Amino acid sequence: MLKQAFILLIVSLIFSLGVNLVSPNKIPYIGSYRELSSGDGPIVPPTAEEGDPPFIAIDVAEMEHSMGKAMFVDARDDIEFYCGTIPGSVNIPFDYLPEENTDQYIDSMMNNVSKDTPIIVFCSGEECDLSLHLARNMQYYGYTNLSIFFGGAREWENFNLELQRSPECEE
Amino acid sequence: MRRIIDNDILTLIIRLLVGSIFIYASYYKIIEPVSFAKSIWYYHLVPGSLINLVALILPWLELICGLALIFGIQYRGAVLWMNVMTIIFMIALTTAVVRGISIDCGCFKAAQATESSAMDALIRDVGLLILTLQLLFSRSKKWMIQKIAT
Repeated sequence: MLKQAFILLIVSLIFSLGVNLVSPNKIPYIGSYRELSSGDGPIVPPTAEEGDPPFIAIDVAEMEHSMGKAMFVDARDDIEFYCGTIPGSVNIPFDYLPEENTDQYIDSMMNNVSKDTPIIVFCSGEECDLSLHLARNMQYYGYTNLSIFFGGAREWENFNLELQRSPECEE
Repeated sequence: MRRIIDNDILTLIIRLLVGSIFIYASYYKIIEPVSFAKSIWYYHLVPGSLINLVALILPWLELICGLALIFGIQYRGAVLWMNVMTIIFMIALTTAVVRGISIDCGCFKAAQATESSAMDALIRDVGLLILTLQLLFSRSKKWMIQKIAT
């Protein structure tokens, strides 16, 4: 029985490592995952309601960022966005959402990505609920894979993770 | 009891069922290794440097054992692996439930940090373990391509 189990393991090893070499979805054999201690888990605001997208902690946000599959959306205005945002984020200022054709505006800001793309919405931190409101709007307009990182840019920076600043910040 | 466990028809049905479950479970993991690696990461049980290796090898082990079980090739080895894998899945799910990690199980699709269904998956795995144990103890040798080495 053990000999057969060993043969099956070797066959699986050959297939898994071999197929990964030529797969379009290949991943490095040795992963590099940072462990961040988030203490108390995700920050959930008292204004959260049932049916809201899930809230995620800093360690999950960082992991999603390093995997590179999720889109990060900054819900603050452009000045705050330029002066320190999570690298690679898209800016959709909630306070300036157009009253008409809001869905088309959001879709175009999101580059018309598929509605089931993993999306993580954030703003400054605990005092800011723009991320919650924007995520609710996006959920209403059909985005199905949303999460809210309520710790926001401040918690990101507190964990010594890099924020991206643009030249426009100086203007 | 022994006659029920050794029943050829019952063993064949369980072989096909369990084999199909493992093959089905391997599918998304093989085509989406990144998502499966993320699922493993959520459990915080595997060292970071080994997560990708586990994410690559485990689905193929599920697929190959599923096929081996259905066709009766390296049958006893496949049954052993299925019991081992089911027990490992149950340990992982139990730790998730005990530590209050809110994730779904990542058994058939990518785990999300969301509403917990780890308990549902754990209950499902208890049922799966009963089936894999039946295969482990059954002495049925019918309908297999390769003779069982006992």
